[in-house]
Amino acid sequence: MTAGPDTDPAPPLLRVMVLTGVALVVGVAASLAAIALVDLVSLLNAGLLVAPRARVQWESMPWLVATTTVLVPTLGGLVVGLVHRHLSPDGRPLGPPDVIKAVQFHTPLADLRSGVISTGTAALSLGAGASVGQYGPMVYLGAIIGGFARRLRLGVPNLASIAIGCGVAAAISTAFNAPIAGVLFAHEVVLRHYATRAFAPVTVASVTGYVIVNVIFERPALFRIESPGIMHGYEFVLVAALGLLVAAGAIVFMRLLLAIGPILGRWIKRPEMRTAMAGLAVGLTALALPDVLGIGTSTLRFATIDGAFGSGEVIVLILAKTVLTALCLGAGFSGGAFSPSLLIGSLIGVFFWTMASGFAAVPTSGAAIYAISGMMGFASAVIGAPLTCILIVFELTRNYDVTIAAMVAVVFSNLVSHRAFGRSLFDVQLARGGVDFSLGRDRAHLGALKVVDYLHPEAVTATADTTPEEVGRRLREKGWREAFVLDRDGRLLGVFAPGSGGATTSIAAGVSPARLVFDDTTDLADAMESLRGFVGDAVPVVSGASGTYLGAVSEADLVAAWLDEAARLRKEENASL
Amino acid sequence: MRLFRLLLVLSVIAAPVAADDLTIVSWGGAYEAAQRQAVIRPFAEETGLNVDVTVYEGSWTDLAERGRAEGWDVIDMLADQARVACARGLLLEIEPGSLFTSEALDDFTPHGPDRCAVPQNAYARVMAFDDRAFAGVKPSRIEDFFDTTRFPGPRAIQRSPDGILEWALLAEGVPPEQVYGLLSTDRGLRLAFRKLETIRDDIVWWDDPAEPAQMLLDGRAVMAAGFNGRFFDAAQRAQAAIDIVWDGRIIGIEVWAIAATTDVPGAARDFIVHAAEPTSMARLAMRIPYGPTRSSAFDRIGLNPDTGAPMRAYLPNHPQHGGRALVQDSGWYANTEDLRQRRFRNWLEAAE
Repeated sequence: MTAGPDTDPAPPLLRVMVLTGVALVVGVAASLAAIALVDLVSLLNAGLLVAPRARVQWESMPWLVATTTVLVPTLGGLVVGLVHRHLSPDGRPLGPPDVIKAVQFHTPLADLRSGVISTGTAALSLGAGASVGQYGPMVYLGAIIGGFARRLRLGVPNLASIAIGCGVAAAISTAFNAPIAGVLFAHEVVLRHYATRAFAPVTVASVTGYVIVNVIFERPALFRIESPGIMHGYEFVLVAALGLLVAAGAIVFMRLLLAIGPILGRWIKRPEMRTAMAGLAVGLTALALPDVLGIGTSTLRFATIDGAFGSGEVIVLILAKTVLTALCLGAGFSGGAFSPSLLIGSLIGVFFWTMASGFAAVPTSGAAIYAISGMMGFASAVIGAPLTCILIVFELTRNYDVTIAAMVAVVFSNLVSHRAFGRSLFDVQLARGGVDFSLGRDRAHLGALKVVDYLHPEAVTATADTTPEEVGRRLREKGWREAFVLDRDGRLLGVFAPGSGGATTSIAAGVSPARLVFDDTTDLADAMESLRGFVGDAVPVVSGASGTYLGAVSEADLVAAWLDEAARLRKEENASL
Repeated sequence: MRLFRLLLVLSVIAAPVAADDLTIVSWGGAYEAAQRQAVIRPFAEETGLNVDVTVYEGSWTDLAERGRAEGWDVIDMLADQARVACARGLLLEIEPGSLFTSEALDDFTPHGPDRCAVPQNAYARVMAFDDRAFAGVKPSRIEDFFDTTRFPGPRAIQRSPDGILEWALLAEGVPPEQVYGLLSTDRGLRLAFRKLETIRDDIVWWDDPAEPAQMLLDGRAVMAAGFNGRFFDAAQRAQAAIDIVWDGRIIGIEVWAIAATTDVPGAARDFIVHAAEPTSMARLAMRIPYGPTRSSAFDRIGLNPDTGAPMRAYLPNHPQHGGRALVQDSGWYANTEDLRQRRFRNWLEAAE
C-alpha cells in the first residue's frame, strides 16, 4: 500500500530536467488556477450581493439587501448539498486531509470528477457567503494539478507526491504572495520531509507562482499589513499570553467543528438540507452582523485598526464566526478552515488588546500587532503549520518585529493545542479515519501496513482429528516447529508443538493456547511492538469479527517488511535527486 | 396634424444650418482654454470642421436637460457622471474596439475606455500646505493631515464627503485597494467619520474649488484638500509658497463621451480618436497639470509654454511620484451618492 510507483530511475541529468519541468508546469498551472478561483469567488460575491461594495449599491433598497442576505447562503447551501449528493462520486467536499493522505501513501487523489466538483462547490460556497475559507480548496486545486504527474513514467521515484507538493506550494504562494511560506507549507503539512529531491522542485513551483501573481498579473497581496513595530519589550510577554488564549479558542473551534457534523447528521437526514440550514443560519446572523459573511476580508482589515470594534461587539463576533464556521463546515459546505481561523484569531487578538490597553491601561503598540499575532497563533494551531504561519507574517509585513511577536504567539499557541488537541485539525481528522500521524510519519506508514498482507503460505494447520504423527511429519517437511489447531468451523483453538510435552496421544491433549494472536486489523507497528519477547516461528492471524483462522505470519517476514518500509522512508526523506 | 408635419420638416432642414458641425461641451476657464489650444484647434484645422465649444456644470442632469436642445455632440465628463449617463441611455455606445487598435487599448492607464467613455486626462485631489506655516518638518503623508499635534493649524476641506473619507481610512493604515470596499460597510464609514471628528475643530470648509489655494495664500488655512491643478496655478503663476503632498492623491479620470442625441456621430468619434492620441494628451498636459491617460504620452511632455515649468513633476499620475495613490472608483461614486451625502450631513449636524 505504501510503496511508490515502480519506476526505474532515470539518469541524474534527466531527473533534474524532469523535476524542473514538472515544477514549472505545475507551478504555472496551479498559480493560474488559484487566481481563477479567487476571481470567480469575487465575481460571485459581487453578483450575489455578498461583497460590501456590491451591497452598498442597493443601499436605497434595504429589503432587497436583506432578502438576498438570507436567501443567497441558504440557496447556495441547497445547491452545494444537491451537487455533492447527485454529481460527485465522493459525495463530499475534499480538502487538505485528502491531499496529505494521497501524498503520504503515494495513492491517487479522489477521482478527477469529485475533485473538480469539490472545487466548484467551494467557489459556490465562498461566492454565496458561507462562513468557510478559500485556502483549503486552493490547496486541493493545486494538488489536482500536481496529481496529473501520476500518469507520467519519467523515471523519478515519488514524482506524483512531489508534483502535488509543487501544486500546493504554488497555490499558497500565489494566494498570499508569499513564496517562502508556500514552500514551507508544502513540506510542513503535506510532504512532511525535506528531501532535496522534493525541496528543489517545490521551491521552483512556489517561485513560479510568485512570479505569475506579481510580475505578470501585478496582483496585490490578499491582505497587506503596515505596522510600526513593537515599542515595548514587555509586549512579547503579552503576545505569549495571547498565544495561550488563541490556543484555547482554536481548541474550542476545532472540537466544535468535529462534533457538529455527526450531530447534524442525526438531526437532519437529507444532506442538502443540512447545508441549506447552515446557510440560513449564516444569512440570518448576517442581517445583524454582516461581518460573518464569506471570507471576511474587510473584517480582517478592520481588526488591524485601533478601536474598530467595541469590546462587546468583538465577543459577539468571535462567537458567531466560530459557531457559524463550525456549522458550515460540519454541514458539508465546501471550503477550508484557514481563512475563518485568521479572522477569529485576529478578533481574539483585538479583544485581548482592548482588555490590555483599555481596561488594564498598559501602553501598547496598537491593535495591529495583536490582531496579527492572534491571527497566526490561532491559524497555526488549526493547520498545524507554525513555520508557515510565521513566514506568512514575515512575507506580508516584511517587518522583523511583527514577525517575532507573531512567532512568540504561534509557538505558545502550538504548545497548548498540540498537547490538548493534536497537531492540527487535519491530523485529527485523518486519525479519525485511521491514519495517525501523531507519532510521526514512519509510525503512520507502519500503521498502514496490515500483518494480514504478509501471511506465510507454508503455515501448517491441524484439526482435532489429525494424528500427532501426521502433524509431526508435515511440520518436518515444511521445517516448522508449531502447527495451528483449528476447530470444525475453522476457528483457532491453539498451537500444537510435537515433542514439547513428551509423547502425546492426540492433538487435543497436546494443544496449548497461542501465546500471541494477531487479527486482520493488526498493523505492522503494533505487531513489531508485541513481538518483543516472543519466541516461536510464526504468529497466527484470525479474523477479528468471527475468530476464523486466516493464516500465520512468520517473525522473519514481519522484520523484513519493517526493514523494507523503514528503508523506503529513509530513501524518500533523504533523496538528493 | 399637417401643421405638425410641416414643423417637423422645417426643423429637420433648419437643424444643420443652425448648429455648428460639431459641438463640444466642456467646463470653461483655464481648463477649457488649454483644451482648445491643445486638442480642439488642431482637430478643427486638420478636418476643416467648424467646432463650437459650450460650457456646462458637469452634471449628467445638464446633459439630460440641455443636450438635445443645444445640439451637444461630444461631452467632457467625470468618469462617474459618464457611468450614470451611460446607464440612463444618455450617451452613445462607442465600441472601443472599433476606434482603437489593441495596442492603443493596452496603452491606456489606469484603465481603458468602457461602453460609453474614453479616458482623456487624470486630475487628483491632493493635500497641499503653506510652506511658511511649517518651518521645520513639513507634512509628507496623508496621516499628517489628521495630525494636529505635530502640524497644528486650520485645514481647508471641501464641504462634501468626496475625497476626505478615503483619506480618513488611508490615514488609518488601510491600503488603497481596500479603501472603497471598507467604505462600503457601515463600520468603515463610522471609522472614517471618527477620524474626521479628530480634526473637526480645525476644519474650514470651502465650496468653490478655487478657494483652498486662496485660503493657503491668505493664511486662513495651513493645509488644504483640493485639486492639483488649482494648487499648481497658485504655486507657479502666483508664486505662492504652496507645496503639494502626493501621498494619498485620489486620481479622478476625465472622459470624453458622445451624446446619444448627436446628429454627427462620425465626426464625434473622429474627434475622440484625435483627442485620445498620445500627442494630444501630451499637448494638454504641458498647458495644464492634468496627466495623460495613455502611458506613451508621458515621454512627450516637456515644459509649460507660458511659465517654462517642467510639467511632468506636476502631473497627478506621473509614475515617479512615490507614496500611495488611489484611483477614484467611479462605479462606487456613481452608486453611493445618496448614502455619502446623507452620512456627511448627519455628521455635520451632529456637532450643532
